[in-house]
Amino acid sequence: MPTEAIDPPGIAWLRVSPKYVTVRLVEWAIGNLIALAVLSLPLAFTLMGWWTWPPLWLAVTVPAVMLVLALWRLALIPRQVRAIGYAERDDDLLIRGGIFFQRTLVVPYGRMQYVDIGVGPVERSLGLCTLKLHTASAGTNAEIPGLPADEGARLREQLSARGAARLAGL
Amino acid sequence: MTSDRAVTSDGSGPVPGTAGHAPGKPAGQVSGRPDGEWQRVHPASPFIRGWVALAAICFFFGRDIFERMLQGRPLLDELYEGRVPFLLAGGGLVLLLSVLGFIMTWYFTRYQVAEGYVRVNTGFLFKQQRQARLDRVQAIDIVQPLLARIFGLAELKFEVADAGESAVRLAYLRVDDARQLRATILARAAGLEPDPERPQAALPEAPEYAVLSVPPSRLVGSLLLSEQSFFVVLGAVASVVLSAVTENRGFYFYLIPAALGLAAAYWGSFNKGYNFTAAISPDGIRLRYGLLDTLAQTLPPGRIQALKVTQPPLWRIFGWYRMQVNVAGYGNAGSNGEGATRTTLLPVGLLDDVMRMLSLVLPDPGTPEPVRVFSAGLTGLAPAGERSGAEAAQPGEAEGGFVTSPRRVRLLAPLGWRRNGFTATATALLIRSGRVWRELVVVPHQRTQSMALHQGPLARRFRVADLVLHTTAGPVSPRLIQAGLDEARALFDAQAARAREARKRQTSEQWLAQVAQTAPAAVAAVAAVSEAGATGEAAPADTPPAGPGPETPDLHTPHHRQDQQKGPEHG
Repeated sequence: MPTEAIDPPGIAWLRVSPKYVTVRLVEWAIGNLIALAVLSLPLAFTLMGWWTWPPLWLAVTVPAVMLVLALWRLALIPRQVRAIGYAERDDDLLIRGGIFFQRTLVVPYGRMQYVDIGVGPVERSLGLCTLKLHTASAGTNAEIPGLPADEGARLREQLSARGAARLAGL
Repeated sequence: MTSDRAVTSDGSGPVPGTAGHAPGKPAGQVSGRPDGEWQRVHPASPFIRGWVALAAICFFFGRDIFERMLQGRPLLDELYEGRVPFLLAGGGLVLLLSVLGFIMTWYFTRYQVAEGYVRVNTGFLFKQQRQARLDRVQAIDIVQPLLARIFGLAELKFEVADAGESAVRLAYLRVDDARQLRATILARAAGLEPDPERPQAALPEAPEYAVLSVPPSRLVGSLLLSEQSFFVVLGAVASVVLSAVTENRGFYFYLIPAALGLAAAYWGSFNKGYNFTAAISPDGIRLRYGLLDTLAQTLPPGRIQALKVTQPPLWRIFGWYRMQVNVAGYGNAGSNGEGATRTTLLPVGLLDDVMRMLSLVLPDPGTPEPVRVFSAGLTGLAPAGERSGAEAAQPGEAEGGFVTSPRRVRLLAPLGWRRNGFTATATALLIRSGRVWRELVVVPHQRTQSMALHQGPLARRFRVADLVLHTTAGPVSPRLIQAGLDEARALFDAQAARAREARKRQTSEQWLAQVAQTAPAAVAAVAAVSEAGATGEAAPADTPPAGPGPETPDLHTPHHRQDQQKGPEHG
């Protein structure tokens, strides 16, 4: 499969902190392990002889497929984190992400309405934060996760200053 | 004068000045009020708003009593026999309290237009003050539900850029007052200062020129041929076949509620779309429609964020199109029925009508041959032969400059690949798609919020990508499907640059400075387009660009508006 990137050439991408992998791992664990546990319940019940309906092969296949998918997602996490990038240009901010489903987003500074910084419990313990930009459009899903806290603060100030300088109406 | 020529050659509209209300006739009672005085809405409004609740209560009790009378039973159970006075007193108290509540609500609801803001105070226990900046007005509507219409009242809705609730709703005012207030708000929003010598004088309403109307026959036809009807016929055929096969007559009983629901849906569409007329005025595009409940919308210039022209397959027989817009503040059409009609710029119209509306929305199309480009966007199809997208992008090609998907995606989109494409004029990006459900999306460059390139694994295999433009919430979600990777990337960069340039040119929120000559120029453009459309030729580039005109400082004075107003009468 050709792996040509979709983003415009000649852009120096800034990458997010590698520690963000930990955040994603915790998220992965919470989501997938719970799902896996729930899906394994029929298997346990069947093995213990409480349930008769799901045949053994079905009770084994469902959690097995789930496990494979979960491991697949787990293997992707480091690459996905490495794929996240952002670049400040003169007039706009570029954000990219994704490996299989790639996305490159451009948000003009003049269109930013406000900038959010969010910190979750895991992120806080690692000294990371998530920066979110809002425009007048709900479709602008502009988020940079896994920024070091000081870089996040710098970026927020920078974006606010540039936004104020170039602010346009709707 | 340009506008005179335009209107006479237009021919379809009524004589300007008689359309709707006569311009320049200020509502006398308003003119005496000083600016900024707190005012109340009409005293009858709580009852018009609460009539549904009253009707429900009457229906509930009335039906009970009626049934008892029919069955010959006593009106009241024995249980309640001795307590009638108490019950009556209790009911009376509840009624009194609710009426008192209505009156209190009315008494404490006051509004004011002053210092560039419109403010509304409501509530007597929990007070709320809302204020909205006039120069941020996105749209302003006058809504008249049937009951309000009977009493000559109207609701004024004032939208600012917020996808949620209407920023300011004033229900209900007398129709004249509502119109006057709309004129005042629009004039202030346009940057028109009140006359310093006579600050109390009411601002005259801007003159308007009728552009088009939708005849009821076409509306009915469009409803009968809509997508909805297609599925209705499909469902009817299926149920008839099923009942014939299974010999089960019970099927027909299930069809009754379905038919009732459909009739209600059709009636709703007819009621809302009836007598649709569009007009242009310096304040913006005016839309009026409705059979029982009427609505008059005003979309100030440049407030349309994105626009979509669609054609369901059956409409192709008569060459009809529908136009929908995104306006900040109108929100999503899906949220309620009202949103769906308010975001409709043209419920059904011929190509000619579409071109006229386009010329109003985009006074400067940014291309010397707007008709050819837009026609290509609506119905065009790339040749099936081998060629690269870049060749088609050369100007002067029969395609209207549309760059379509590369030939290699014909496996991915066997029907759509010759149709899906884009072109950019100097002022807007045009995205066309759909072989069966034709669609053309127009996004003005200065309205682009942000953009994203998307590419999934399958698209990567074919070296194509999707470009999504983000606009405010609404029925239009611009997405360029399966453009060649190189073209998409080039467009991504070029579009960012174009949007930047367009934003730099637009500096003021007060549109009078930017689009001072829109109305005459737009009407001229309408005339030019309709002439060209009638003869089937491409319009020559003689329409003056009505772009930003900063060299018109004298237009800020109310004086000019008086002059404009006299224009059509002298004609």
